[in-house]
Amino acid sequence: MSGKPKVGIFGFTGCGGCQLEILDAEDKLVDLASAVDIVHFTEAITEHSDDYEIALVEGSISTNHDVERIKKIGSIAKIIVAIGACACTGGLNCLKNLYGVEKAKELVYGDKKDWIDAIETRPIDEYVKVDYYARGCPPNRFEILQIVKALILGKKPEIPNYPVCVECKRLGNTCVYDLGMTCMGPIARAGCEARCPSNGSGCEACRGVIDEPNVNAQKDLLAERGLTVEDIMEQFNLYNACKKLV
Amino acid sequence: MLYKILPRDSYQSFVENLIRNFDFIGPKRKDKATHEFTKITSFGELDLSYKKTTIPPAKQILFPSTEEIVEYRREDNSIEFRPVVEHSLKLLFGVHSCDINAINFLDKVFSTDFSDDNYLSKRRNMVIIGTDCEPRETCFCLAMGKEYVTAGFDLFLSELTNRYFVRVATSQGNKLIEKYASGISSAGEKDFKEYNEKIGDFRKKFKLSPDAKSFYDNFDLIYNDEEFWKKVAKNCFSCGSCCLVCPTCFCFNVRDEIELNLKEGKRIREWDSCMIPEYGLVAGGHNFRPTKENRLKQRYQCKLKTFVDKFNTYACVGCGRCIETCLANISIASDIDSVRKEVTV
Repeated sequence: MSGKPKVGIFGFTGCGGCQLEILDAEDKLVDLASAVDIVHFTEAITEHSDDYEIALVEGSISTNHDVERIKKIGSIAKIIVAIGACACTGGLNCLKNLYGVEKAKELVYGDKKDWIDAIETRPIDEYVKVDYYARGCPPNRFEILQIVKALILGKKPEIPNYPVCVECKRLGNTCVYDLGMTCMGPIARAGCEARCPSNGSGCEACRGVIDEPNVNAQKDLLAERGLTVEDIMEQFNLYNACKKLV
Repeated sequence: MLYKILPRDSYQSFVENLIRNFDFIGPKRKDKATHEFTKITSFGELDLSYKKTTIPPAKQILFPSTEEIVEYRREDNSIEFRPVVEHSLKLLFGVHSCDINAINFLDKVFSTDFSDDNYLSKRRNMVIIGTDCEPRETCFCLAMGKEYVTAGFDLFLSELTNRYFVRVATSQGNKLIEKYASGISSAGEKDFKEYNEKIGDFRKKFKLSPDAKSFYDNFDLIYNDEEFWKKVAKNCFSCGSCCLVCPTCFCFNVRDEIELNLKEGKRIREWDSCMIPEYGLVAGGHNFRPTKENRLKQRYQCKLKTFVDKFNTYACVGCGRCIETCLANISIASDIDSVRKEVTV
């Protein structure tokens, strides 16, 4: 990539917190702005251009309008980075699919349900090729910056494909199972610095799962600790319903 | 080795003197499940009744989980490197025999074939005082021949009736008791007798007794038995926890972190594990150990065979941490015996 790369930061269905996470990188923002040209940033700037090489995309695809927009971004950007759980795995939004779209529309919007242009929620890689994933809910702002730096340098960003247990051990955390809780850590993808277990609660796999999760062993483990089949399904589906792990 | 007696009355003031005069690291309760080795500032914080620390005490300091090893700065046509080597004096108090044996193993690893300054500079500046322990359910140091330690410490304290039997292994250790302890005398016949009885009783308390020699002898016979290894590794998460909590595991990965100005950066090493799929992944996408059974077999081979051939010692001290940490209930002690059963039926 020659010269200063042009970057667009886009939002789809989600809470918008991933864009805020980038803005929260406060003391690094000036450096970021001098390393790249930001030509679109929904939550931060009013200017807009369709001329960009890198697209950072947050949110899941859950309306027909979303589908059109993400396909347009896919036709322009040379590199797409999915940011946050909704873009990467479909995130919490995928829970809607478990009800069925019509039922979900009715539950939320009642007799106005026909006003709503909703389709089954999907992560963005069901519609465009995603090159890199900055996962998590919220994503790790330092990881987003690390990916941007790697792209400027022409390197492949290093994104962990090992479970959260690795980060807990590096931090010297007491295993939350030893404290009487349950955790998706053994199959959940790391990269968050074991944020939840480090603060006394089990991991919910908001960064999705590793490439080769031992799903059966995780089910056994949760069942051994007294969880019912419904509880286990909930743990697996909270952030990963679109991935149909169970 | 010198053998001395420290009266119980002098024990607290001896430890307090050490706390006052050193960067004193010892076991302290962390939460309801564990203890951790951390900076101790008063005698009351120290809890020598500890059974378990998640991370081995010395590994945490000598070979930390994340360690900056180089700083660099790029200019247009040049690059400047500065090695980062930490070496402040630390005193580690309350280390058990298995963990000191593990330090002796790491000392060999980090000084044989190449000399690792980051490890060795910290090791040279570490005072180690060992203490006795009570075996836990998962302890099998006796079976590995690591329940007793004869080197690698400065002082080793064993509690007898109303006194401590002190083994002094270094001149540094001798200076410490001469300077900071009062009422020290040489050990006599009665002291040796009680000490030997204590060690004898300690050796009778172990519940696990895996036959590591049989594993070594039979490993080649079972090496290609895919069904066996699949069964052993069935529930493995490939999470790496067993390696990361192991006092003798030393594998690390190295990565660069660069600032957004693309000029300054640092090189970092961090704990790695042969149980993680990416460990065996090389350029071009080939993975030398693509399955969890490949990886678990490799771990057992490294622990129980490779280093017997290389250093004439097991790379396992039987501390039981991997057994306790494994959420898939995989136990190296049971698997050692499974190998024996598999080849003898």
